[in-house]
Parts: sequence; C-alpha cells; structure tokens
Amino acid sequence: MREQGASGTETAAPARGRRPLRPALRPASRAAVLVALAAGLAVAMVAGVAVGAVRVAPGEVLAAIGRALSGAARTADDAIIVDLRLPRVLLAALVGACLATAGVLYQALFRNALADPYILGVSSGAGLGATLAFVAAGTTTAGVLVGVPAGAFLGALATIALVVALAERAGRFESTSLLLAGVAVSYTLAALTSFVMVVSRESMHAVVFWMMGGLQRASWPWVGMLAAVLAGGAAAPLARSRDLDLMLLGDERASQLGLDARRFTLAMLACASLVVAGAVSVSGLIGFVGLMVPHAVRLVVGPDHRTLLPASALAGAIAVVLADLLARIVLAPVELPVGIVTALAGGPFFVWLLTRKERAA
Amino acid sequence: MSGGEALLVFEAASVGYGGAAVLDGVSFAVRAGEVVGLVGPNGAGKSTLLRAVTGAARVLAGRLVVCGEDATRLSPRARAKVVAVVPQALPVPFAMTARRFVELGRHPHLDVLERPGPRDAAVVEDAMRRTDTLRLADQTVDTLSGGDLQRLTVAQALAQQPRVLLLDEATAHLDVNHALQVLDLVRSEAHAGAAVLAVFHDLDLAARYADRIAIVAEGTASEPLPPDRALDAEALSRVFDVRAVVRTEPVTGAVAVVPIVRGADVAALSRGPVGVVCGSGAGARLQRELARAGCRAVCGALNEGDVDAAVADALGHEFFRLPPFGEAGSDAEAWAEERFAACAAILVAPTPFGRANVANLRAAVRSGAPMLLLDDVTPDRDYTGGEARALAREACERGARVVASESEAVAAALALVESKEGRP
Repeated sequence: MREQGASGTETAAPARGRRPLRPALRPASRAAVLVALAAGLAVAMVAGVAVGAVRVAPGEVLAAIGRALSGAARTADDAIIVDLRLPRVLLAALVGACLATAGVLYQALFRNALADPYILGVSSGAGLGATLAFVAAGTTTAGVLVGVPAGAFLGALATIALVVALAERAGRFESTSLLLAGVAVSYTLAALTSFVMVVSRESMHAVVFWMMGGLQRASWPWVGMLAAVLAGGAAAPLARSRDLDLMLLGDERASQLGLDARRFTLAMLACASLVVAGAVSVSGLIGFVGLMVPHAVRLVVGPDHRTLLPASALAGAIAVVLADLLARIVLAPVELPVGIVTALAGGPFFVWLLTRKERAA
Repeated sequence: MSGGEALLVFEAASVGYGGAAVLDGVSFAVRAGEVVGLVGPNGAGKSTLLRAVTGAARVLAGRLVVCGEDATRLSPRARAKVVAVVPQALPVPFAMTARRFVELGRHPHLDVLERPGPRDAAVVEDAMRRTDTLRLADQTVDTLSGGDLQRLTVAQALAQQPRVLLLDEATAHLDVNHALQVLDLVRSEAHAGAAVLAVFHDLDLAARYADRIAIVAEGTASEPLPPDRALDAEALSRVFDVRAVVRTEPVTGAVAVVPIVRGADVAALSRGPVGVVCGSGAGARLQRELARAGCRAVCGALNEGDVDAAVADALGHEFFRLPPFGEAGSDAEAWAEERFAACAAILVAPTPFGRANVANLRAAVRSGAPMLLLDDVTPDRDYTGGEARALAREACERGARVVASESEAVAAALALVESKEGRP
C-alpha cells in the first residue's frame, strides 16, 4: 500500500473533488497584475489632473507635463496642472500607497485580515503626534515638513506599542482583543487631539480640516517628503517578503522555522508606523484604505507578499486618487475631505467583512 | 540504537517561562536513530520541554545541548537548520498554496534575499510525496481539513531536513490511517539518523513507536525507559490516577494499556467482599462495577497472566495467585472456600470452565454463600466432562439465582451486601 502511495500516482490523480481548486498565481500573471495596476494608476492620475473646476483634456495634461519636464514655455493652464493638480494627485497616490502598505504589514504581523492603521488606532496616534508638532512647530515650511512627520511617527510608534501591550494583556493577538484595544486607544487619542485643537484656538480650523483627511495643502515639497518616506518604509518589507509569509503561520511557528519573530515584528511595525506617519502628516486621517485595499488585492493575487505588497501599494494609490477625485467633484466647487469618501465606502465594507467572517466560522 | 550520537542532551535542566520553572532536574539524552516518547498528564509540562528545545521556553538552570551546541546560544536560524517541530497544526487564515506552505520549511537554509532554487524544490517535492500531500500542492491551506493541514505541517518539517525532530501530539487530529503513516514516517526519519523527541497523547501509540518513554509529571521528567518498563500499572496509577491493565499486544508486539477505571472512583473499597468466580476476562466488568460501587471482590484462584487476574491486580481485588497454566490445588481451593464463605454474595461470571478453574466453582458452592449465576452453565462452556454443569445445578437447588445481565447481577450482589451489613 505504502509503496503504491510513494510511487507518485497521486500527482496525476485529480484532487478528491470536495473543494474547488484555487491554483497559485503563475509568475507571468503576477507580472501582468502589477502592469495592469500600474496602467490603472496612470489612467486614474491623468483623470485626477484633468478633472476639476477648470477641465483639461487628458492629452493636454500629458502635454503640460511634457512641457514642464523639458522646460518649454508654459501655457496659462500649466500653472494649474503642474503646480496645483499634479502634486495633489501624486500626493494622493503616495498616501494611498503608504496606507495600503501599512495595512498589508499589520494584517500579516497580527495574522488578522481586520487589522489596519485606522482601526488599530495608529492613525489617531500619528494624528495626535502630528497635531502637537503642528501646534508647536508653527508655520515655517521646514518645521512643518520635518517636525510634523516626526511627531506623527513618534505618535504612531507609541500607539502601536500601547495597543499591542493592551491586547497581549487581554489574551494575545486575538482579533477581538486587538480590535478592542485599537478602538479604545483610538477614541482616547481622538479626544486628546480635540483637546489640543480647542486649546490652541488659532490653528483649530486648519487642524480640523486636515484631520478629516484632506489633500488641499498639496505641494511639491510634500510630494518629495512622502516619496522618501514610502521608499524608506516599504523597501525592507519588500526585501523580506518571505519572512512576512512566515509570519502568517504565527510567531511561534515562524520562530521554529528560523525567523527571529520578535525582532522582525518590531522592525516591520517601525516600517508600518513610518509610512502611516508620513501619510497622516500629509493628509490627516484617511480611514479604511489600509483595510480594504490589501484585502481585495489578496483575493486576486493571494497572500504571497512578494506580489501582495507592490500590488496593494498600486491599488491603494488608485483608490485614494479616485477618492480625492470624487471629493473634489461631488459638491464642486466645495471640496469634501477625502477621508469622508473613504469612510463612506469603508464602513459598509468593514461590516461585510465581519459578517463574512462570522458566516465562515 | 543506543550507539548513536547524542543529538539532544538535557543536563540537570530546569525549563520554564519568565523566571518560573515548570520542570526541574531534567537529565536525559536523545540519540541519533532513536525515538523518545514523552507521556504525562495534561499540563504537566511535556510541551514546555519541547519548547525549551525550540527556544520558546527558557532553560533556567542546567544545560540543554542541541547537536553539540548550547541551545541558548543558537540563533533561530541556526536552530531551525537542525531542529524541526511538528506542532498541532494551527489553522492558517490566509489563502497560501500548499506547496508554498511546505516551501517555507526551506527558510532556515536560504539567505535573507535568496529565492528557493531547484534543489529546494526537489526537497519540497520529496517531503510532499512522502507525506502523501502532492495532490494538495495547488490547493490553498485555508480550505484544507485538519488532517491534511497536519500532514502538510509534517512535510514542512521534513523540508527543513532536520537532525532533531520534535513532535507535539502531532497525530492528535489524524485518522488512524494517517496517524500510522505519519508515525511510520517519523520512524523512518529516526532510522535515517534523526533523533526524535515526541509528545504522545495516546499511550499505546507511544509504546508502539517510541524506543524509550519518559514520564513527565510532578515537575520533572523521568529517565526514559523501554515502554514495558516505563508504562507499568504502578506508574500509570501514580501519574495518571487510572487503574489499568498493561499487557503485550500480541498483534503489534508492543505494550498496550487498557485503562479500567479512574483511581478516584475506586479510592476506598470499604464494602463487601463479594465473591467473583471468573477467568479469561469474563469477570473483568463485574470486578470493575463492584470496585466503582466501593465494594471489594474475592476472585478465587487465578493464573498469572489471566486477564481477570490482571484486572484484579489493577483494582486491588483479592485472589489466589497461581503460576501461568498451573491448576488450582487443594490449598488454593481451601483458600477460596474460606474467603467465599465470608462473602455476602458470589457472582459466577460466564467464563468457560476447565480443570484449572472449576475448583473456584466447587469452592463457591461449598462455601454456602448466596450465589448469582450469570447465565446457566451450558455444555459449550463446560470442559470438565459435566462437573461444572453438575455444580451449577447443585447451586440452583440450594437457591442460587440465574440473572440475565451484569448490571442486574451487580445490583443484586450489592443488595445482599447491604442486607448483610445491615445485620448487627
């Protein structure tokens, strides 16, 4: 019997047909997914630049970018395209990529498809840190460009440490304890943020609008800052994508397979906090992107982080560019904070996810 | 077998978590080529011992040497190159393919940025073939049954190509076929030179697959001994608080453990005694039910090695010990008659009667105590040329009752005990 089993006949035999096969994505289709997402992002960005109070033809958008790159003479619309809309769209894309990257990391490290920077309270922590820095740093460009992200980063790090400590106390990284700890910390930090805003009256309006998730303050220096943050925060996770796969098996199993799980988790949490802090200091609190995007992308490409990370970053970029586009045109000329758009889409998605999980259980 | 290199050595080791030791004074070695089993009650620290080897629990005192190196000085990667664990598989909530899942076992052999190559693919393929999981290769692990996932976890461990293999109740979720398959595989790994330390939940599987067994209880681990010495009735009573019959299973040749009753249920045998005429195990359940009711039993003369003798030993019932296959002589019969005479009732189990045990029936009839016969002594049970049937008829003429079931027989005997004890 065993000889028969060992002769390899079972490779040819069809699987015993009780469950559908879900074959792995082949390397070619991996590349295809990434190329398709990149193309989608390009289209979304051109649309994002073209649509607004002044409509610009898509061809004209590309022409204007070409002129800016080549240093040719500008037309009247070029100022709108190159100085206002282009940085804004690029910033939206970077914010989305940052949030989705953070979502992928949190979901892998906590083995929990419900983890995301907003729900874990990390965004609120970054928000409080940024607000404090904002109030303290005042209005100098350098102070805002460096001080606010630094404050946000410290706030994010402190928050994730607190949430993890609370969750561990309540019983390891269980979904419920992690989410409850996140919600509790998040509310407390939001209250503290409100307190800071009320106390510092003069900057209150700016802070409120920023915290709701807006990209109005887009400018090229912010684009540069966030691009650097994303590059810094996503490089290590991308390089260690197999270690992230290992973490899906749980800390203890990952250690048994040779990963220093604790040290790796801390390093990855630092990366995630960095990109969240970058995104929050640019655009305030934009919820649910970090939850929805990795989840949806995982359904298509599977949990292999070598593909999941870049694909999620691209999809997150598309999501926020489109959300910002909607935010600008729904009540034009009034602009909605983009966070409202993502929350409107994300709330129902979160409910769907929860009920789906319950049915599966 | 004991000549292999000692790959896993505990030297007066205390292991535990934080600063608190779970086990103290653990000293034994697991050599290349052998399987050492760990058995013990729940929560005694069996898994902690394994987790000390993987680094998840701490060595607080003494030493733990893995493949010649102090375990506390090994990095997770260096450790995973030589030590593989098969835990009870956790569900993986992500749609990872089975092949990728097994491939993660190659992790300790790959550099941080190195991708698995053709050699790794061959190792993965081999591990999956040996665990009969190749047909699952393209399925995703979140859709698999517990048994399939467990075998993939074994494949993942084999893909590490370990010198030391640790099993933590690795067959707990498997059906009997796959459990044997996994343990056969583990044996063949040992045969190929691995040192195996395995936590067993099932004592019979431990006895069958382990060369030596250590009992983990009362804050330490005993020196591993061959299964027939490690798992004796006395140790089972002390460690698990079960009264058990331990015998060599003729089919497998391994020691088999048959737990009869929890020790707590038979703590005080204060009533009775009730006589039991039995043999060949026909009285085993009568003996057990009497013990559960707190009642002592007297079983007459029984041969060493007889199932009823083993049960009486386990439960602490009295009997006259005859050598294997020996016949009861006049001394045994006189002993039985005297003891039976003091009984409130004598139960006659539906055992076949031969020349060896008919003396018990004779003694029972002569003792004059009230008798309860489980079923009439029919010709097919009588190998004494009619003597047993004649004795049964005589008993019935003196007022013995024939009862149909064991529960009825025990209830009637207990009623007789009660009325006898009720008398001043």
